[in-house]
Amino acid sequence: MSGPTSSALPRRSELLNYRPRLADRIGEPGLRALSALAGVLAVALILWIAETVFNDAGPAITKYGLGFIGRQVWNPDANGGVGSFGALDFIYGTLVSSLIAMVIATPLAVAIALYLTELAPRVVRRPVAILVELLAAIPSVILGLWGILVLGPFLGNRLEPFLHRILGWIPLFGGIPSPYGMLTAALVLTIMALPIITAVAREVFASTPAELKEGAWALGATRWEMVRMVVLPAGRAGVVGAVILGLGRALGEAIAVTQVIGNTPQIQASLFAPAGTLAAQIASEYQSANPGLGQASLIFLAAILLVISLLVNVIARLYVRRVSVR
Amino acid sequence: MIVAAIVGGTLALAACGSATPSSGTGSGGRAKALVGAGSTLVAPLMSVWQPTYYKRYGVAITYGAIGSGGGIVQLIARTVDFGASDAPFLRAQAAACHGCLEIPWALAATLVAYHLKGAPNHLRFSGRVLADIWLGRIRRWDDPAIRRLNPHVKLPDTAILPVHRVDGSGDTYAFVDYLDRVSPRFRAEIGPPAPIVNWPGGVGGRGNSGVGGVLSAANGTIAYIAIAYVLQSHFDYGLVENQAGRFPTPGIPSIAAAADALRSVPAGGRRGVSIVDPPASAPDAYPISTFTYVLVPTATRPGIAPTLRRFISWAVTAGQRFGPKLDFAPLPQAVVRADLADVRLIR
Repeated sequence: MSGPTSSALPRRSELLNYRPRLADRIGEPGLRALSALAGVLAVALILWIAETVFNDAGPAITKYGLGFIGRQVWNPDANGGVGSFGALDFIYGTLVSSLIAMVIATPLAVAIALYLTELAPRVVRRPVAILVELLAAIPSVILGLWGILVLGPFLGNRLEPFLHRILGWIPLFGGIPSPYGMLTAALVLTIMALPIITAVAREVFASTPAELKEGAWALGATRWEMVRMVVLPAGRAGVVGAVILGLGRALGEAIAVTQVIGNTPQIQASLFAPAGTLAAQIASEYQSANPGLGQASLIFLAAILLVISLLVNVIARLYVRRVSVR
Repeated sequence: MIVAAIVGGTLALAACGSATPSSGTGSGGRAKALVGAGSTLVAPLMSVWQPTYYKRYGVAITYGAIGSGGGIVQLIARTVDFGASDAPFLRAQAAACHGCLEIPWALAATLVAYHLKGAPNHLRFSGRVLADIWLGRIRRWDDPAIRRLNPHVKLPDTAILPVHRVDGSGDTYAFVDYLDRVSPRFRAEIGPPAPIVNWPGGVGGRGNSGVGGVLSAANGTIAYIAIAYVLQSHFDYGLVENQAGRFPTPGIPSIAAAADALRSVPAGGRRGVSIVDPPASAPDAYPISTFTYVLVPTATRPGIAPTLRRFISWAVTAGQRFGPKLDFAPLPQAVVRADLADVRLIR
């Protein structure tokens, strides 16, 4: 009778006398050790960075404690050159500029992602997707430069006076129009976060289970109803993850923001007013901060930024896990 | 921190380069390279000194224009051989530096530049008006106080946006020094001169070039910038009233007049020399002139001292002739004499 060719299966004797070859004997533990080493390295790096940041912020932490977060002052010249510092202006600036960026970028990104996955002609999809992803490849410094040369003057000379005229009674638009301010920085951050959110949202929408979409169509749903009832709810966790990724980029952006935000520690109701963020302030002053309390306070700002970023990340993971389990 | 690491690395390489003794200079060898950092005001002059000095003496000088405040910090940390600053040490910085000298080696000025569509060049300002602009009390260009000084000019109704430096700057020091003297209100609100102060409002830029960028991008801005940048970038700049009631054009003659009004030069290279707001006995003096200093330790690394002494002696004598084309006035003779005496203190 014909059976499988004997060369396809190991002989019984080979199985009984199996001895691992040298390459296998070294290879497997070697792989384990190397990847364990890489993992340990990554963990050690994070711990080392955290330790350095909190250590060097020591003098400021000892002097101000957690109250540093609530102090609204940044005066390197006070008290005979020792200085008096506080983080409130910068925490406000970071949170507000990032929040505005997310509010503008998220609907835009979701719309672009929907267009690319559901609505665009197939021919158009890949080129547009590539162009959107190219936005993420632009170095921050160049975006900041474009902000100074193009976006800032456009906002300061056209859009802000227009908003001031129409909506000036709202405190948000009540200040003097200025090319350097919170609004310009928020828009630059929007441009930086947009490609990230779009790319991830696109992947999420593209992986919506086909049977759910076909089911909706079979029930007579229009395209918009199908999107609303199937694609968006199914992709909700992924979109939240995308927004968190974009938020992470916005929170930490230093160079582009410091070029357009005006670098003035203050809290004003108007979006047109100059402000400061944690990252931008560190970028501005790190080279010339007075050794002692000045430098320590700057690194305290860095510690706060680190904690905010980690918190945002942890909240995102918890949300995604909760939704996925469901 | 990162700059310290990079500059420290460069320093290590330079030290390797100077390990080979040069011919005919005795035991131990003389360093062939110097590393410095600091003021952006003196950077144009430094970039002319570097190739000239290398061609003449074979010594390579590396300079990082990171702002006067940065120069002070790097010298205190001893990551550089010399610092450059338009601002003298604050008391705490002098203590932290452990016996450092400030030797004035160039003479320049800080101008008040502005960008205002519809207004001519050379608008006139007084010290009080400038103080009130930066304090946020004068908010529009057609304010009566500005109009009074410029009676024949039609000033537009644009908002004023005062610009300042966010990094540690000798121009900030000189400007605040001047405003403190002419406006008691400014002194009370802002405090004594320092490389970084707490400005109420306005917009911040990094370095002279950053502030210049803010100026060119926005209408209605006014800023204090080193003279070389203002003239090279062709910004409009203001004429500032001095104590004699005149509005001298900032330039070599008016800066030299301010330096000549010096009564005495403090010895021993300490404490800096302030020449802002010169008395009425110098009617042609520009009121916001400033020396810029080289900051050196009295105790240097081996091999550095002779090279450093020769470089600074050259800079305050032969090096001065490169100044006028870049809008640096020549040092007064009394200052040069004091400098050459102080240079001998570098060991």
